[in-house]
Order: sequence, then structure tokens, then C-alpha cells
Amino acid sequence: MALTLLRGIRTQALFRANAGLFCSTRLSPPARFTTRVEGVQTTSPKTAPTSIQQAAKEAAEQKMQGFEAVIGIETHVQLSTVTKAFCSCPYDYGSHPNSTVCPTCMGHPGTLPVLNAKVVECAVKVALALNCQISMTSKFDRKQYFYPDLPKGYQISQFDIPIAEKGYIDLDLPVEFGGGHRRFGVTRVHMEEDAGKLLHSESGNYSQVDLNRAGVPLLEIVSEPDMRTGIEAAEYGAEVQRLVRYLGVGNGNMQEGSLRCDVNVSVRPIGQSEFGTKVEIKNMNSFNEISRAIDYEISRQIHLHKESQADQIVQETRLWDEASQKTFTMRKKEGLADYRYFPEPDLAEVVLTSEYVDEIRNSLPELPEAKRRRYENMGLSMQDVIFLANDDNVAHFFDSTLEHGADAKLAANWIMGDMTAYLKDEKLSIHESKLTPLELSEMIASIKNGTISGKIAKEILVELIAKGGTVKSVIEEKDLIQIADPGAIGAMVDKVLADNPKQLEQYRAGKTKLQGYFAGQVMKASKGKASPVLLNKILGEKLKGN
Amino acid sequence: MFSAAASAIPRLRCAAPARYASSRTQWSLLRRRPLSSSPNVTPAAAASGPGPLEPPDLPRLAKSARISLSPQEAEEFAPKIQQVVDWFGQLQAVDLESIEPSLRADTAVGSSLREDKAEPFANRDAIIEALPSYVDPYIKVPRVLNSE
Repeated sequence: MALTLLRGIRTQALFRANAGLFCSTRLSPPARFTTRVEGVQTTSPKTAPTSIQQAAKEAAEQKMQGFEAVIGIETHVQLSTVTKAFCSCPYDYGSHPNSTVCPTCMGHPGTLPVLNAKVVECAVKVALALNCQISMTSKFDRKQYFYPDLPKGYQISQFDIPIAEKGYIDLDLPVEFGGGHRRFGVTRVHMEEDAGKLLHSESGNYSQVDLNRAGVPLLEIVSEPDMRTGIEAAEYGAEVQRLVRYLGVGNGNMQEGSLRCDVNVSVRPIGQSEFGTKVEIKNMNSFNEISRAIDYEISRQIHLHKESQADQIVQETRLWDEASQKTFTMRKKEGLADYRYFPEPDLAEVVLTSEYVDEIRNSLPELPEAKRRRYENMGLSMQDVIFLANDDNVAHFFDSTLEHGADAKLAANWIMGDMTAYLKDEKLSIHESKLTPLELSEMIASIKNGTISGKIAKEILVELIAKGGTVKSVIEEKDLIQIADPGAIGAMVDKVLADNPKQLEQYRAGKTKLQGYFAGQVMKASKGKASPVLLNKILGEKLKGN
Repeated sequence: MFSAAASAIPRLRCAAPARYASSRTQWSLLRRRPLSSSPNVTPAAAASGPGPLEPPDLPRLAKSARISLSPQEAEEFAPKIQQVVDWFGQLQAVDLESIEPSLRADTAVGSSLREDKAEPFANRDAIIEALPSYVDPYIKVPRVLNSE
């Protein structure tokens, strides 16, 4: 989808960059951010045209009018542990309200929290993946405030001594947005618990509380204010999601609420070292929304600066409204919240040994960044690299296919093209495909050695994904072996020409396009098995010869 | 899995030698942190060693804790609370110059972690019974829009 953009009219890219904010039909990046195998189809271009990238860059700079944006993101990741952080209640998204609760997570008097070992393991995994410095000892603190979804009246969190600090994350921006590699800093990672859910009734003066989610473990990841555009911020969020899924610590689903991002945006004139007033934005439900919300907020703030109304920018929380594509002020809070942090007396320190940390470090899978660099070194285009490394399952399938000897570029094309298209149509994910990496590499080899044509391969691909089986057996069963014998093809050509004297005459008279018609007839006669290359060669010779 | 931290005191030094240098500034911040993070107890008072602690702002504290006090009660309680604070304030007399701050007051050694194994609570009915206001399947509460 995005590829046709790049290959298409140049003005389209400019249109997108300029009108991005105000046009609600702004083209969003392809759905690379979702779990399913979706995304670009067909073979990829060799390189994205740099002139388009340059034009988009210039347009973006123009839009900023001499200002730069400073963006930071706080991400909350819900860990998919079996039990909650401080009690043994199970947690399943979508459970009947108030069913996965116990006195501890409901904050009944006399209950005590007991830390789930898995939470620490997940925290260390994420911290290592984010290249952080791990605190070998850290502690929990109480963050105190009153709210109906907070049973204890405080949230157990980590305040001044988090489990990890000072890390960074590497990512690649999508090709259709100019591409490029970025490294963004991570200020800290800490463990805490989630609150319950509060639902406001439509009418009436009451609200409803569901405490299933109270006590579910969260990791809070705070970034350095290193991002400068909406797309950088969205990609940061997407990379955190990728990491979380690669590591298997959570499902990172924004729609479900297992990945939440709060964004802080400020602007300052280029060259100024002080930060401008920062504004927090909440209520973004997808990475696309994050990108658009930030871009809107940046232009809102720049506009106020330009109108000499910079003092109108106040430190506040604004909500993104997807319908109107704007941010709105939430009710302003009076003064800063006083959380009265103090060390959680009911929990011991979290003490780690270097053996423990090393053990986890050694068990980490190959992370997205490492995969992308490895694929890049294979000579694949960035478009391919980003697609293949996006979903761990797809990358694994790709790697397995290569292990069986397939060529990287061909394997990438088949996976990204026909296979992805079919899986998307059938709403399957790649590990539901009955086509195995071995068979895919078999199929690629069969095309290469001329046993079947590419066209035939496309047909049997669908069957193999849906029903499984081996390439060999399908070819034999359906008698699909390519006819590559010149004699046999020659005979078929002769017959077709003999059977179609009228068209032959028209061809002689100058209607040379009819060669395609003859080719089609031969293909039909051969049940699609004639080698297209050989067919056209022989057909051409015979038509010239007679 | 987790280490039984060395029994030597101060325990934290043995467990975290690598972080010593970098957390020094963090921990000296901790030392200067007042007993409560209420802005009314100034850091200077706590860090300067022996000396009187600022009296707590009782109305503010009561508001933070959602305890309603009449002005009369506030007047009555203020000196009593001051007495409690002063009693703890005796600790200010200790010379902390050469002592490294503790992460927390902890004598328990060894792992106090729990395996990630589900144990659904058996007596959910009793919990529901104990709720002051329950309209199946939600807990009913007065409408609150923000935490202020």
C-alpha cells in the first residue's frame, strides 16, 4: 500500500507531509503495529527514492517554522504473569467483573503483599533488553492517593530506587516516513501494580468499580525526552511493543490496555537550550493516534508561539479526541499532587545476584534490533528488514526457511507477498499456516530448478498454507510439473496455430499483439504447465519462421 | 534464585558494591529527605543534625489523609502530634556523618518471593458480602471525577 505511494506521484508525499495535521484522511503507516501478519504486498522496490524522502524532510522542517519539539513518553506495560504482583489471584482480560479478586488485592485490613518472583524476572529481562543499568538492590514505595479504583489508598510502586535506569532503545523508522536509524534514551524502568477499572454510569451520581485488574503487575518505562516528531514517538512505542512481545513478558496490546502510553510534548525555538512548557497527552489508543496527537499538539503550541501567546501554553494534561483530531484540556488540577512516598514497610528489598542477572541475559532471544542488523547484512532492503523483524513468529519462519537452503531475497518475497496476503485474508497468523519453512524452501528450489513455474507456485502455495502437505506430493498429485521440452511445446504451438487460422492471418497482417492470444491458448492446452519463457521463445520463432 | 545477602553489616554494601559510587548522591539525597515528603518539613531542618523539626501543617495533613477535623479538634490535636514528632525527633541527635544510609529498615535475610502459581480465592462470596454497596457485578461508589 505504501509502496504504491512512493512509486506514485511525487506530490502525494508533499501533500501528506504538509497537510498531515489538518487533513483527517492523512495516510497512516501500514498496519505494521498489530499482531497479525499484515502489511505491504508485492515485491519491494530496491531503494526508496531519496528525492521523495528529501522533499518530505524539507516539508516537515518548513512546517516546524524554526521550532523543534521535545517529546518524552511514559509507557506502562502489563506483564502477562499467571498471577498478580502481590497475591496469587489469576488474571485474565475479560473475566467477569470482580471475579479474580482476594482480600489482598482488594486492600482488606490485615492483608500483606508477597512479591511474585516472575515479576522481577520480567523486569530484569526488559531492563537488559533496554540496555539499562540494573540496580542490584531496589525497593518498593507507597504512592498514596485516594481514588475508587485504588483499594488500598496507595499504589505499591518504586520511587527513588527503581530496578533499572539509564538505558536506550534502537529502532528504524519506517521507510515510507523517510527511514533512518534512531537511538532514544530510557530514563528508568520500575515495577508497580495496576489499579482496578472505574466505569462512570451514563446517568446518575454513581460509578462502578471492577477490581479484577487491581494488583496486576506493571512495568513503567520512562523515556528520555529524545523524540522530536510524532512518528519517532509512535515508532518508539511500537519498538517497546515489539520488545515486550519478543521477550514474551506481555502481549503489548494498546486496544486491550496492556500497553499504555502517556506522552509529554513541548516546543522551543531551534537553538534554545531550555525546554518549553510541557503538556501531557492521554487517551491515545493506537500508535497512529499517538503520532497524530503529537503532531497536532506540536502545531498547536507553535501556533501559540507565533501568535505571541506562548504563555497560553500551561503545564496540564490534555486528552486526544480521535473524532475531532484535536487535543482538549482535561479539568485542570489545582497544584501538584502530594503522593507522600515512603518505603513500603510490608515488602523486603529486591536483591539480585550477578549470577541471576547473567542467567537472564544469556536466556534473552535475539532482539529486534539485532535481527534487523542481521537481515540488513544479508542484503535485504530496509522495507523487507523492517517487515520481517516486526513479528518474532515471522522472523522465525523466515530464518527456518533459510536454514533449509532457500535464498534470502526469494524467501522474503514469498513470505511478505503471497503468504502474507493469504494469511491476512483468512485472518490467520503465521504459526497457524500449515505450510512449513521446509516446504517453502522446497517450493523456492522447485522454481529455481525449473520443475514448476512461478505462476504454478502461487497456486500451490495457497493449498499448502491451508492444508499442508509436501511440495513434491502436490506437484505429483496435480500433475503440475512444468513442460520444458521444446519438442512438446513446439507441437502444442503448431496445433494452436493450425486451430486458429483466422487469428494467424490477422497476425500476419500486422496485429502482432495476438502473440499473447496464442500464448494463452497454448497455456490452456498445457493446463498451465508450459514453461512461459520457453513457450514465448518457440512461439516467437514459429511465428517469424512461417 | 535471589541471593541470601551477606550477613555482614551494613548488609547493603556487600550486596551492591557496584552501585556504591553512583548511588552515593542519590542516597545523600535520601538522607536529606524529611520524614514525610510534605513540603512543610524543610529538607534543611532534617539534614542539619540536631534541631527542632518544623511543626506539621495539620489541616493540610488531615486533608491529605481525608480525615475531617473541626478547627477545634485541629487546635487540640496539633500539640499532641507535635509531641509525637518531637519524640521521634530525638533521633536527630545521632551523628550520621560517617554512616551510609540504609535502603530500608530490614533485618530479614533471604528470598521472600512467591512462585507465579494461581490460587483463586475460595471465599469470594464473603468478600461480596462485606462490600458496603454492590450491584452485581460491580462495586457501586459515589461518582468521583478526579483524585483531588
